[in-house]
Amino acid sequence: MHTKEKIETADVEELPDNWWYRVYLGVIITTVAVILALGAFTGHFSS
Amino acid sequence: MRFLDWAVVVAYLVYVIWDGIRMTKHSGDVEGYFLANRSLPWWAVGLSVMATQLSAITLVGTTGQAYSDGMRFIQFYYGLPLAMVILCITAVPFFYRAKVYTAYEYLEKRFDAKTRSLTSFFFLISRGLGVGVVIAAPSVILSIVLGWNEVTTIFVMGLSTTFYTMVGGVQAVTWTDVKQMVVIFFGLSVVLIIILSGFPADVSVSDGLHLAGASGKLTTIDTSFDLKESYTIWSGLIGGLFLFLAYFGCDQSQVQRFLTAKSVSEGRTSLLMSAFLKIPMQFLILIIGVMVFVFYQFQTPPMIFNEVEATKAAASKPADYQNLQGQYEAAHAAREQAAMEFVRVNRDGNEALIQAAKENYLKSDSEFKDSRKNATEFIKTTNENKNFNDVNYIFPTFVIANMPAGVIGLIIAAIFAAAMSSISAELNSLATATIIDFYRRHFKPEATDKHYVFAGRVATFFWGLFACVVAMYSTSLGSLIEVVNKFGSFFYGSLLGVFILAIAIPRARSRGAFFGLLFGIISVWVSSHFLDIAFLWFNVVGCFATVTAGYLISLTVREGTQN
Repeated sequence: MHTKEKIETADVEELPDNWWYRVYLGVIITTVAVILALGAFTGHFSS
Repeated sequence: MRFLDWAVVVAYLVYVIWDGIRMTKHSGDVEGYFLANRSLPWWAVGLSVMATQLSAITLVGTTGQAYSDGMRFIQFYYGLPLAMVILCITAVPFFYRAKVYTAYEYLEKRFDAKTRSLTSFFFLISRGLGVGVVIAAPSVILSIVLGWNEVTTIFVMGLSTTFYTMVGGVQAVTWTDVKQMVVIFFGLSVVLIIILSGFPADVSVSDGLHLAGASGKLTTIDTSFDLKESYTIWSGLIGGLFLFLAYFGCDQSQVQRFLTAKSVSEGRTSLLMSAFLKIPMQFLILIIGVMVFVFYQFQTPPMIFNEVEATKAAASKPADYQNLQGQYEAAHAAREQAAMEFVRVNRDGNEALIQAAKENYLKSDSEFKDSRKNATEFIKTTNENKNFNDVNYIFPTFVIANMPAGVIGLIIAAIFAAAMSSISAELNSLATATIIDFYRRHFKPEATDKHYVFAGRVATFFWGLFACVVAMYSTSLGSLIEVVNKFGSFFYGSLLGVFILAIAIPRARSRGAFFGLLFGIISVWVSSHFLDIAFLWFNVVGCFATVTAGYLISLTVREGTQN
């Protein structure tokens, strides 16, 4: 009974795939932005 | 170390052990002890994921590496966010919904028991030896820098962690990881502020960064495609991607973290936390090393950071050592003058003068590096230690020499925290794989929860003791660290290949997975002996070899059958 309750709770908490795909896109865009920002940081202080 | 420092270290150790032990009440059954009843919030799991990856040797080694080689190492992590996204789509829902305790358990559901046992066995061997090195490396450094007994340091670090992990299980591991991350980042932030306040009055942070930039210490993107070069954007994005897919998706010490989350969504969020925070976190650690470099432009650093080796060489050939010391101090004085001139001219903004001052600074920096290189070579020949390298001693030696009372204790506690957070997660995962993949699967399948929890505690204690013994031996056999790292690289890419076969290739069969794994490991071994490539590429080789061989072997099995 305890296990079943937990599974049901987990199902309720799941977010839709479309939402996750937008999050993943956000992660990739943020990563690219961070790498570019690091490149700009290097360029600024190394010139 | 003064009384206040000792008080901070002892208070940290007592608190962590107490905090771990009080989790006993949540670990009475198998799922509670090994998976925290799948009840933990994403932020706690996410911090635990990051704490497990951040070992003490990463902390002191990375700062030392930034001091001597700059920030190039950050490229190692550029593939991590993409790896986390791929794992959120694949591994997290697969493992979580399969209701497994170990990643390898899933392989039995997909293939067969021998594939599960083989992968779990490789995990136990490589991680069991690896955790010994995780204990040994900081113990050696702390014992030399602080004058502590090496064996005592190993056992204080190893057995105290074993004790709370054994008693509290995965809940103790996760919640102590959370507090240990707080200690680590509070300590590092305090050190950074003190370093910056230690610059000369007329040198600003911006001046320091320009100085570091002029000496090439701020390189964060190297676009050259050189397979022999360890850290380029390509080795990070491609080799690093494979390494992190394997580490976070197939290594039980990490898989077990997200299996404790409340739901698939919380498990995904915990991994994405690392995707967002890992590169900035590594930037903070590396910039501390770079700022130590800037600090030592205006203060004379030790010629050799490993004091024991320096004393030994100085006692053996005192006149030669004094001569080298004199050359070193003269080179530093010239570099300090050139650095001050560069800072002054750079502020005025005259391009021609800046270029001239930069060239002069780089020339004196090169002479300074040569004098340190001469000293290093002197240590190697005088002490007959051809592998001598003091990079890992830079940060702890700097802290001891320049931090105020209390802060030294805080940093030692942070180094302990970094080590213990990794050790606890690894011991817990070793115990889980031992009990779930071997003891319960092959020897005692029908025992009570109480029995398996007891067996889990015994297994944790065994692996803790094993790790301490390995740590004692690895301090005297320097090459063992290299052997263990290589063994890990052999394993990771090939293991990732097995999981790709399991999750992404429906035509894969158990025979293909089993022999594909063996073929992958052999391919990496052959590559390491006959190809001159950096270690990150081993993960790519192992993965491709396993998937290709596994798929081709699977084609020999008639469709519709499993074996």
